[in-house]
Amino acid sequence: MMPTWPAAPPSGAQPSNGYTASYSAPAYTTVQVRQSFGQSYSTPQPSYPVAHTYGASHSPSPSAANIAPTVNSSPPAAQEQAKTTKIDWPDSVRRYVQRAFIPANLDASVTRADMEAKLKETITQANENSVMYTLNWDTMPLPQQMILDERARDSLPIHSKAQAPTPGTKKRKSWDLTDTAAPSSTSASPPWRTGPNRLEDRVTFSPDKRHVGDDLPKHNSKFNRADKRQRRNEGEYVTFREDTPPPADGPVVGTSQELEKRYLRLTAAPKPSQVRPPHILRQTLELLKKRWKKDQNYSYICDQFKSMRQDLTVQRVRDDFTVEVYEIHARIALEKGDLGEYNQCQTQLKGLYKLGLNGKPNEFTAYRILYFIHTANRADLSNALVDLTAAEKKDKAVKHALDVRSALALGNYHRFFQLYNETPNMGAYLMDMFVGRERLAALCTICKGYKQDVPLRFITEELYFESDVEAAQFILDHNGQDLLEDRNGTVIVLTGKAGQRFEQARSKAFSRVDIKGQI
Amino acid sequence: MEFNTRFFQEFADACSKQDGPQLARTLSPDIPTEELREICNSQNAHDIKRVLKRGLQGSAALVGGLGQQEVQGWVEIYTTYWNAARTILVARESSDDRRQSSQSDLVWTKVYAAWTELLNVLLRGYQNNGIEAWTLPCMYVVCKHLRLFAMEADEERNNSSSVDESAAPSLQDDFNPETNKRQKLEDCARVLSRVFTACQSDRAPLEESRKWGSYYLANLLLKTYFKLNSTSLSKNIMNSLFAGGKDMPDLSAFPKSQQVTFKYHQGVLAFLEENYVAAEQHLTDAWNNCHKDAVRNKERILTYLIPCRLIKDHMLPTEKLLAQYPRLQKLFLPICRCIKRGELHNFDLALQEGEDELVKRRIYLTLERGRDLALRNLLRKVFIARGFEEAKEGEKPARRSRVPVTEFAAAISLGSQERIDNDEVECLLANMIYKNHMKGYISRQHGIVVLSKSGAFPGTGV
Repeated sequence: MMPTWPAAPPSGAQPSNGYTASYSAPAYTTVQVRQSFGQSYSTPQPSYPVAHTYGASHSPSPSAANIAPTVNSSPPAAQEQAKTTKIDWPDSVRRYVQRAFIPANLDASVTRADMEAKLKETITQANENSVMYTLNWDTMPLPQQMILDERARDSLPIHSKAQAPTPGTKKRKSWDLTDTAAPSSTSASPPWRTGPNRLEDRVTFSPDKRHVGDDLPKHNSKFNRADKRQRRNEGEYVTFREDTPPPADGPVVGTSQELEKRYLRLTAAPKPSQVRPPHILRQTLELLKKRWKKDQNYSYICDQFKSMRQDLTVQRVRDDFTVEVYEIHARIALEKGDLGEYNQCQTQLKGLYKLGLNGKPNEFTAYRILYFIHTANRADLSNALVDLTAAEKKDKAVKHALDVRSALALGNYHRFFQLYNETPNMGAYLMDMFVGRERLAALCTICKGYKQDVPLRFITEELYFESDVEAAQFILDHNGQDLLEDRNGTVIVLTGKAGQRFEQARSKAFSRVDIKGQI
Repeated sequence: MEFNTRFFQEFADACSKQDGPQLARTLSPDIPTEELREICNSQNAHDIKRVLKRGLQGSAALVGGLGQQEVQGWVEIYTTYWNAARTILVARESSDDRRQSSQSDLVWTKVYAAWTELLNVLLRGYQNNGIEAWTLPCMYVVCKHLRLFAMEADEERNNSSSVDESAAPSLQDDFNPETNKRQKLEDCARVLSRVFTACQSDRAPLEESRKWGSYYLANLLLKTYFKLNSTSLSKNIMNSLFAGGKDMPDLSAFPKSQQVTFKYHQGVLAFLEENYVAAEQHLTDAWNNCHKDAVRNKERILTYLIPCRLIKDHMLPTEKLLAQYPRLQKLFLPICRCIKRGELHNFDLALQEGEDELVKRRIYLTLERGRDLALRNLLRKVFIARGFEEAKEGEKPARRSRVPVTEFAAAISLGSQERIDNDEVECLLANMIYKNHMKGYISRQHGIVVLSKSGAFPGTGV
């Protein structure tokens, strides 16, 4: 890639006011029943390779990515390039960059890399805030100056929150320190050596012991912090900067302004600087909706939604917006058949709805019922039915799901396939998962119930195949080659000859479905 | 019981006779408030240990064979009991005048905590102080009330307006407002399961093993799990009980009451898993051993045994049986009548009528399948109504075995007065044939059903 100054901000990094504009198109598309097996759903498909968009999303922000190479090269070269490509980059900015690299202005304690990073950050920010042209770049503090200021701030113990971006190693380090210091802070001997008669205690965990066990980490960290503080006073930890305060004091309040963030499973307390507050998350959601519509890149979307959910969780935000995030993620996961994520969302939603938040509880109750049908989990289905209120039972989606259940319980495939055709919302994605096995079951019943033969057309209609060809294919796929016969131009199915041949496939299809994370 | 001479005598008496239930009575919280107050007032926190120690040592001297360790264990137990008794007294008194003080603390939560402590001390007594297994009824009474106090505490907390925000902050993205509602009962389940393990894992010789406490605790735990709607946890208990193999005495060696309760739970669990064969067996065992006067228990057993029999053996309860249990009569009679008479539409209505109650008892899904029987009986009627072929000479007249689908369709829509599509009727008929309720086949070409000449409806005499 030829490093260039961007002519205009790339679409991915529009000024933030672009996001706040109320873009409320849903991030999902209601789907009709899958019409055939050969073709894909009617939802828009990615128009270009998935890898492309996913790759781009790795970089923190496209505009920053574009600036980075330029800044990294020496300033004259940058200027040359800027000239040759004739980009409309304000002169004031160029002067600013030049000024920063004049030897007289350089500071020995600031490395070149740090400076470039700062420069990049400053310009990107200006670009994003659309103040590129209005800012007075001539009076702007130089990057090295900013860095020095920041360091001065950081050295004050109270303002230690904002940290230099070396999160991984630092976090790791502080964690390790806690770990290694732990044994010295607890009792000198291991718990099982403290009494003559403690073996049984250990086996059955007497409650007081466990209590102590629960408290341990807290004591430890307290002890360690005091310990560290003491050692720092002795001069041992002069360069060590205190970590963020422990999260137990209350939820984190995020300060991050980034819209996008990769998901990373937390192994330590979250840092406010890396957590996005709700108003940013709202913008993120709009961005993601747009992205989903445009790219349909599931791995990217899923990752982003997970990080969003994480930010909401660590800040303990449980409001209508939270519901919306989980609902949208659940729908997208459902559409892509990612049942693991779908289940996680459903579990959360169940709890959130119980808090009385606004959302689409009925839609998701219906999904839940359909899902239990899919997993053939009678006990859970029973429990789900207990929870239903009269009002819920009247809801269109819930009623549909209940009717599906009842039709299947009674073996009424005729009714079942009618309902399949009328599935509201996105329930069809769930029904797709078990429609195959129900077709097998129905075929078994038909083969035993009807003697001699039935027209293929009848099978097509009863089992809601898209075409005779598809129906025939289904029979062929299940070992029914010799059951099809052409008689005077109409294809017939010799049900009388079928015997037990679909039974095995049927019982195999009905063996228990078990998916991790299911509720 | 007040800690006086009489108490120490009673203790000695129970010990010398090794009478568990008698000893257990001294630890029961289920006594009149007046008596409770006497216990609390008879001692003070400063003296209680000393008094108990002296008194129990005296009792031990009377009995003999009670070791120093054991006495120490009992001193601790009764001290904790006394502490718990005081919280109970406070709770009872504050429930009495709750109306006056709107802002009451969670007194039952305190009772629960104190009682948990008692259970812990008791358990330690068994594990460290060598308290013998004949005293297990003491454990029973403490465990039983732990569960009751837990439910009391949960109810009290849910009724109080103050929102309990004590839930530990967690970084996980799991939370469930429901669990908070059942906080104490869930905790109780954990405590009880620990006690259960303590019983199960006792390796003392069988005669004096705490293993004899296993089924009592298993039953209590199962009951708790059912209440918590987490029947899946029951599997652990079952596995643990059956994994014991020879070490574990046979269920039949345990008291009948425990057998019945356990069999009932086992049956219901199998029922929920739709294992109707096992369910029927366990429930029948429970039914046969159930005390004849335990009407409520018999009713519980029948609640699941009746649907079991209906699905498995196509058997309906007699009206005479149902008449003895008004609740069951209300639940089952309308449905059973409809099945018997083959009134399909009324069956649907009856099922709908009882839906809430049936769903709550987890028998709705099973009874719903009784619709097949109602349908079978209806179709059978059609078959019979069609009468016989003209008899050939010297032969028995045969029933007319070729029935037009439209006739069945007419019968099905007779009740609801709703037209039903012939394809759907065929679907229902195919199901009947598939499930062996009906013998024969559908000829789609001719729109007729050809029924078997020998036993078109198996098991119904036609």
